[in-house]
Amino acid sequence: MNIEQRDTAKSRRHAPGPGAARREGFRAVIRSRRWYRAVPPSGGVAEQDHRGLCSVATTAPDSRRAVRPSAWLRAVIAPVLLTLAAFQSACVSSGGGTPANLQPGQVVASAPPLSPVAALGKKIFFDPSLSASGLQSCATCHDPDHAHAGADGLAVPLGGPGMDVPGFRNAPTLNYLSFNTPFFFDAEDTPTGGFNLDGRAASFMAQARRPFVAPHEMANGTPANVVTRLRSTSYVSEFMQVFGSDIFDNGDSAFDRAVFALQQYEQEAPEFRPFDSKYDWFLAGKVRLTDQEMHGLALFNDPQKGNCAACHSSARLPDGTPPLFTDFTYDNLGVPRNPDIPANADPDYFDLGLCGPDRTDLAGRSGLCGAFRVPTLRNVAVTAPYFHNGRFNTLREVVSFYVRRDTNPEEWYPNAGADKFNDLPPQYRANVNTTEAPYNRLPGAAPALDSDEIDDVVAFLNTLTDGYRP
Amino acid sequence: MKRLILPLLICLFPAFAAQAGEAELQQRIEQLSSELDKLRQELQEMNSRTQALADQQEETMASATRNTSATAAAPVSIWGYGEINYNRPTHDSSQTKMDLRRAVLGIGYDFDESTRLSAEFEFEHAVASAEDEGEVEVEQFYIDHSLTTDMNFKAGLFLIPSGLLNLSHEPVYYYGVERNFVETAIIPSTWREGGVGLYGSTSHGIAWDVGVTTGFNLGSWDPASTEGQESPLGSIHQELMKANARDLSTYLALDYRGIPGWVAGASIFTGKAGQGDPAVSLAADARVTLWEAHTRWTPGRFDLTALYARGTISDTAALNLTFAGNPSPIPSEFWGGYLQAAYKFPLGAGRSVSPFVRHERYNTAASYKGLPTGLGVATLPTERVWTYGFNYNLNPHLVFKADYQHFSADGDRNRFDLGMGLDF
Repeated sequence: MNIEQRDTAKSRRHAPGPGAARREGFRAVIRSRRWYRAVPPSGGVAEQDHRGLCSVATTAPDSRRAVRPSAWLRAVIAPVLLTLAAFQSACVSSGGGTPANLQPGQVVASAPPLSPVAALGKKIFFDPSLSASGLQSCATCHDPDHAHAGADGLAVPLGGPGMDVPGFRNAPTLNYLSFNTPFFFDAEDTPTGGFNLDGRAASFMAQARRPFVAPHEMANGTPANVVTRLRSTSYVSEFMQVFGSDIFDNGDSAFDRAVFALQQYEQEAPEFRPFDSKYDWFLAGKVRLTDQEMHGLALFNDPQKGNCAACHSSARLPDGTPPLFTDFTYDNLGVPRNPDIPANADPDYFDLGLCGPDRTDLAGRSGLCGAFRVPTLRNVAVTAPYFHNGRFNTLREVVSFYVRRDTNPEEWYPNAGADKFNDLPPQYRANVNTTEAPYNRLPGAAPALDSDEIDDVVAFLNTLTDGYRP
Repeated sequence: MKRLILPLLICLFPAFAAQAGEAELQQRIEQLSSELDKLRQELQEMNSRTQALADQQEETMASATRNTSATAAAPVSIWGYGEINYNRPTHDSSQTKMDLRRAVLGIGYDFDESTRLSAEFEFEHAVASAEDEGEVEVEQFYIDHSLTTDMNFKAGLFLIPSGLLNLSHEPVYYYGVERNFVETAIIPSTWREGGVGLYGSTSHGIAWDVGVTTGFNLGSWDPASTEGQESPLGSIHQELMKANARDLSTYLALDYRGIPGWVAGASIFTGKAGQGDPAVSLAADARVTLWEAHTRWTPGRFDLTALYARGTISDTAALNLTFAGNPSPIPSEFWGGYLQAAYKFPLGAGRSVSPFVRHERYNTAASYKGLPTGLGVATLPTERVWTYGFNYNLNPHLVFKADYQHFSADGDRNRFDLGMGLDF
């Protein structure tokens, strides 16, 4: 745009945050399909924390308001939302200031003690006796030593009464999800927010319900069974102290309070958002990255090279919160089908993300089939395997896939690459993102990153692991 | 009356009707007397009515005079300007655009003889909405109060006295359809900030202007967009839109106008831009400075102008390091300069045509700090622009313009322009 054409610029005023303009290509593809606006999933209850504070971002009914942000947010969806979510999270969590004002290491050091509800949630989080097998707790698949992601190295975890029933999706990290919002479509119809890899849960609390009862997870079958197990825990008196001595008299209320306590734990505990990776120290000006890591950062940011920052934002939020490395939107990468997932043995089974099979409210929006939530890249070095189907075990494979998916499909897909995007039924393969760098090239073209550059990007990704001490 | 008397006297002369005539005469005299009284009464009434009317008229006139004198003491004045431009790139006619670039309405209000409000409201690109690119903004909103005969005080949102175009940005005051690049990319015209200022002139012909205003906001810099490359200061100026005001800026402008037909001046604007923003804490002490020097000489029908402006942003190294790979790091230096010559052919009755030529050079990112070699973005090439064209004035306040612009660094921008500008 010629500068003389304007005295001022709209986008500048509205605190763009870096990278806001980058996703136009793919979103334009989604926009080109005329859909009615979806309503957010119903069935949520107004969930307030015990102090009655900061309830907006976690309530499903209120998400209708969140679904319709006023028009001026259009240019800055993710950063502004993340700021709101950051305020919400800061409000319920530490009294030591927002992450923006804290130095690396201070988030953990200055966090106040957990509230009674959150302390209870922590006990529940680590309690395997709440599962049918007696061996599985939340921490089994969301291991604190692996950024609250899976530690078993399997594509999909095992659960069930005998710990031998395979799941369907890779267990994602729970870290930095306190900055997430309920699912909604923004003013440009871009799907944003939501918990689970398909965004179907509106909050931590809503997400926590399913694993307790699902047959391939803790396999309790019904909330009532979970309540029965709760009564036999060592902390049941504490539970009744916090939630009232009659909490077990009201059917499933105790189950509701249990998942609520889990939510409070995930929001309050600083170990879910430490912001003390080497990159955080670098952003604070306290350490320098090595030459290879700097090069990797440059390639990560460069729109002509990796262009990773287009979805995995490497810049601070407008309020100064360190980068979250996700914009909480969705993308369809056409990741190859993973034969290690037993469910995939059925050639008619397809995990379509936003449009099913776990999520049903968007089944009619065929353009969304195959899209999954953009995860944070923080701690990505310790959260292998990668993608919703755990298809790749190393970061090098992942980065190579991004840049060589289209230039060398034979490296990724069966039949020497002829069966491209084979984890989608044929009618949805056109949904795959082929317009945004770096996966916008043609077969035989040079990939956006060469082998050394891939190594550099991987070196940079390794700086995103929390717990770094200079 | 006299007409009655004469026939009466004539009626009195016949002698043989003398005796009987005496009684009749008496009767007639009485009749006349009563008619006379009646007439006198009528005359009196008419006189008093006339007087009443006269009084009324006097009062109306007096009150009218009172009203007009009250209006004369506190006038509202209205002015404005606007331009419609047509641009046709010579290498890509599909990018041809015609745009109501701006329509500006100004309102002035005199509180009294020494204090005045000046407000200007601008509409750009004709349609402003969430889906359209137009904008509505307040361009100026300040009070001006004269302290002495040659010193004034101003406060509010006012134009920064930098360069020649910023203060005289109406389309009739510059040559060429578009405003020149140096005074849009380097000096971010129309550049206004909020604050207070003092200005005046000395008897030696020096006009001075000094003030404290809001400054720039480095937190607005978006390294991922190219906006900063188009105009570094234009992408971070605040224009009193919820401006961060922790770090204020100061300016000083001096112009020598002692010799008629010649102006020479310079200005400097400087202030910190970190604004305490945690997002740019690595550049908390960054300072933005813009200085410029200009001269304009109008001997005879010539109109010759030269201007040079240079801006710097300090302390950007640490922050730029975190922007590695992004297309627009924060430049530490940017500059521009131009030479312009015009000649006015008067055509009578206020019309004139002024052909002109302008050569300008500018670089919006002449250097970057903090970017390691091999990782950084290359500094931008210096753009050199030649503009040839003419202004045709139908009257001093209405101008039709045409020009051709040639860009040496980016030939795709070469274009042919037409424009209409006016002010009132």
